[in-house]
Amino acid sequence: MPESVLDKLKLGGKIAVVTGAGRGLGRAMALALAEAGCDIIAAARTRPEIEETAELVRAKGRRSLVVPTDITDPTPVQAMVDAAIAEFGRIDILLNNAGGATAGMGKPLEEVTDEEWRLGIDTNLSGAFYCCRAAIPHMLRQGGGKIINVTSGFGLRGGRDNFMYTTAKAGLINFTRSLAMTYADRNIQANLIAPGLFPHDNPAMVEWWRGGKFVPMGRLGRDEELGPIAVFLASDLSSYMNGAILALEGGGLAGGHAPTGFAPVVPLEAEA
Amino acid sequence: MAQADARREQLSLQGRTALVIGASGPLGQAAAVALAEAGADVAVATTTRSQKEEVAANSCANEVWALKRKGFAAAIDAASESDVEALVQRAASELGRLDVLVNAHDLPFAKPLTEIAPDEWRRVVEVNLTGVYLACRAAAGPMLSQGSGRIINVVSLLAERGMVNGAACCAVQAGVMNLTRALALEWASSGVTINAIGAGWTEGMAILSDEEARRKLERYLPGKRLAQPREIAGAAVYIASDAAEYMTGQVVWIEGGALSHV
Repeated sequence: MPESVLDKLKLGGKIAVVTGAGRGLGRAMALALAEAGCDIIAAARTRPEIEETAELVRAKGRRSLVVPTDITDPTPVQAMVDAAIAEFGRIDILLNNAGGATAGMGKPLEEVTDEEWRLGIDTNLSGAFYCCRAAIPHMLRQGGGKIINVTSGFGLRGGRDNFMYTTAKAGLINFTRSLAMTYADRNIQANLIAPGLFPHDNPAMVEWWRGGKFVPMGRLGRDEELGPIAVFLASDLSSYMNGAILALEGGGLAGGHAPTGFAPVVPLEAEA
Repeated sequence: MAQADARREQLSLQGRTALVIGASGPLGQAAAVALAEAGADVAVATTTRSQKEEVAANSCANEVWALKRKGFAAAIDAASESDVEALVQRAASELGRLDVLVNAHDLPFAKPLTEIAPDEWRRVVEVNLTGVYLACRAAAGPMLSQGSGRIINVVSLLAERGMVNGAACCAVQAGVMNLTRALALEWASSGVTINAIGAGWTEGMAILSDEEARRKLERYLPGKRLAQPREIAGAAVYIASDAAEYMTGQVVWIEGGALSHV
């Protein structure tokens, strides 16, 4: 019996590093990878949060290593990768999810501070560089690996008073394409997920985003919708996919030149 | 000063000839007038044989004549092979040669997909997409044999993005955009360039006749206003000029920032 398409989604025995694994999208994707069979290295700044993620991973019968990590600093990133190798011996999947939109968000450019800019770029862009630089030698030694970087619709388009985040996420896209170009012949695939608006059951975010009224599908994203896309990109099913962006955002990017709901009707003119 | 004069010279279309199809619409009309202002003789044609379009094309030709340029207005059905062949031949013979072809085919149409009759779909495709192919094919004769030419296809934001009720027009516009790229490669070493102007939401577009939709759109756009047709037409002068000789297969977007929007 040849392997079925569903068998190919099984990640049993694979080792995945997930940054920003303590909450939100990172936790959702870490748990989905664990369900598919991965052991998870949960990295993030806040120990109690990743401890909780690790407990949820273990509840699914997988192993989990908690490594508090500030990804904006290459030294702890290297230590996190070393710890992962010491514990599991390999890294099959690197999911660079850690990031944040808030630094400098909502300010006109002339008010964005150096600190906000640096912190944001370090978190959203340089962190992925540090993590890839530390993990790729192990992937090369193993004969391959999967890198999944989390970008955003704001990596493809601009936003008013949104400079750091759009810049960092756009940078991450071309960083990933360059990874894809560089390691294509050594069985490392690097791809991107571009999630739309995911409130993670936080009522304040649901309200801030008006329940997703302006999203073409009329709603916000659900965490459980995001996990499977990470599993797909971590699996052999995506073995020929490299440098691609998978956007999961309710249809907003299909439009974006006119307000949601803009729906003119122009009949064909009767021709004389 | 000498440098500025040289630059002006490079952008001048003195002694060039142009044919604008769809000059009955706001973008084609503005392109025709801009080319004439830059010194070209300009023939104009309608997209379909509707009375309204014929009147608009005639008034466009009047503007060309008022600029002391040669030209004529023709009522054609842009989907008709014989109409298009005859038009291109007439333009080449009456104006002496054919340097510039602007395809601003503009048969407006927007409906929910399930309400589009197959005949309506075919008509929109035949006029707005097949019509562009027919015009390029007809212009190939004079342009390839003289070893020079500029084809400028005018597309809208619907070439790049979807729109509710826009299935037919979005498909057609994207088709014209990639026809532009394909033909640019095919004729890359011929001396004939093929580019597109990507027009943003522009005053006078039939799709904006609904006042409320139009106001919503203006609020949404980064610059809070529609484009004036004149603001789009300048790109036609640039692309038609000697300055743009190395540019081919490109879409020059003039859309007030609309495509930057998430």
